[in-house]
Amino acid sequence: MTYFLPHARTGDDAKAGRQQARASKAATLVARLQAMQKQINAKNFAVLRLNGNGLPATRKLSCVLDNWGVDTEAMAHELVSAYGSEMLAHLDTSLLPILWNGTGEHQAAETPDFGRFTQRLTARLLPYSGLALPVRLGAQGNGYVLFLGSYIDVPSEVIIDLHGRSCQIMTDLLGADERRMLPSESLSDREIGCLQMAGDGYISEEIAEKMGLSVHTVNAYLGAATTKLDSVNRIQAIAKAIRLGYIS
Amino acid sequence: MDALQTEIAIWPAPIAGVRGVGRPVSKEQLIRRLGEFAERGNLGKGLAALTEYVGATHYLLARYDLSQDEGLDFVVCSDWPFDVVKRLGKVMSQLHSKTNEMEKCLSVMQPVFMSLPDDIDIARGTSREYCSITFNVGRARLSLMLLFPQDVILSQESLRDVGLLTGYFASFTTERGARTDRDFELTERELECLFWIAEGKTSDEIAVILGISRNTINNYITSVMRKTATKTRSEAIAYAVRNNLV
Repeated sequence: MTYFLPHARTGDDAKAGRQQARASKAATLVARLQAMQKQINAKNFAVLRLNGNGLPATRKLSCVLDNWGVDTEAMAHELVSAYGSEMLAHLDTSLLPILWNGTGEHQAAETPDFGRFTQRLTARLLPYSGLALPVRLGAQGNGYVLFLGSYIDVPSEVIIDLHGRSCQIMTDLLGADERRMLPSESLSDREIGCLQMAGDGYISEEIAEKMGLSVHTVNAYLGAATTKLDSVNRIQAIAKAIRLGYIS
Repeated sequence: MDALQTEIAIWPAPIAGVRGVGRPVSKEQLIRRLGEFAERGNLGKGLAALTEYVGATHYLLARYDLSQDEGLDFVVCSDWPFDVVKRLGKVMSQLHSKTNEMEKCLSVMQPVFMSLPDDIDIARGTSREYCSITFNVGRARLSLMLLFPQDVILSQESLRDVGLLTGYFASFTTERGARTDRDFELTERELECLFWIAEGKTSDEIAVILGISRNTINNYITSVMRKTATKTRSEAIAYAVRNNLV
């Protein structure tokens, strides 16, 4: 199972504890996904997350959670190469659930009363049918929760219910990310203040004047923030700080 | 979806209670009706049906990404009384600028209840609280806000369903004319430059990546700063990230 990677750091007790907490969190997510999978008689579930922002060329969906066991990599690769680009494009314009039919004769994904509000992908590309629920949280945490099986027949009520729960799962995943980011890279108030002003279009001299500091100090704060945010320059640091919610 | 197509009803609209708690609609019926409205692109009717289903009386669908100025143009569709909408516009954009991107992401599809400012008059029998559910359709962040009768408690689950259905509905009606006014008329090339700058690349590096001259890159960026009314490169990138352009 691929799961959001715990940072490979030499572990003291506190860190080990935190990792354990994260593992149990993953376990409850899996339990929730499994319950959803069972509800519609699917064989597998998978959670795909969108990596990278902006340009189509640099973005891709990657699998962060699934129950394919040892086949994870091959299955995820197969899925993303078949439908990845279509799903990416869909996520940019729409919230409608996606259905597709598999290669086998009875491998269909259907809904009796929700056809209008679902989107169909090219059929017969994969040896299973599926239901993909797009989740769009904003700048981060976007992706799909998928359920795969042979014959999937879901009424509107169930689709809506699963979709709502999928949103919650993606939100919880993002929440876990945020907590992971915080301890190792927390910024000081001054650093955040300088970043905020730089993002608001002030140059170092202006920031220095407003904060009653010297220009060198301001640049030092911005430099420290850049390092902490694992960025190569101040502009990247500002972009990251906004995405992570340090500044607005 | 036409951002300016604001449907505003005359106040007092159908008395609270008649629409709110009147005849319960089953989910199947609701979905069938929604399908019909979606087909005709009738957003207002769809929202009214959803509002009725959840037990509320009035709906307002707003689009946050356009609420840069404290104007009214971010209201997509509403049957709230006009004066309330007008007053709320300011409150909303202030609230919006106070929360950061991460908080916004984590609050998607979570219904929240907020109080209307004290100086707003509302019809008797309507609760002073309103409910708001935020969701994204593509890059647009939308919020559905509902007024409901004082004595009604809205169920969290139905609210979530209604949020999703509104999202479906909005996807349906936006799909054809998607990505219109969103990108502030920035060209593909300009967006490409912005993206690489946000990744920490310098003009020289971007020149290599895109195979064009460094001066061209700088021209693109100047043009971006002009179009977005920003003073520095940092601010331009901040602007782009805030508006989900990169």
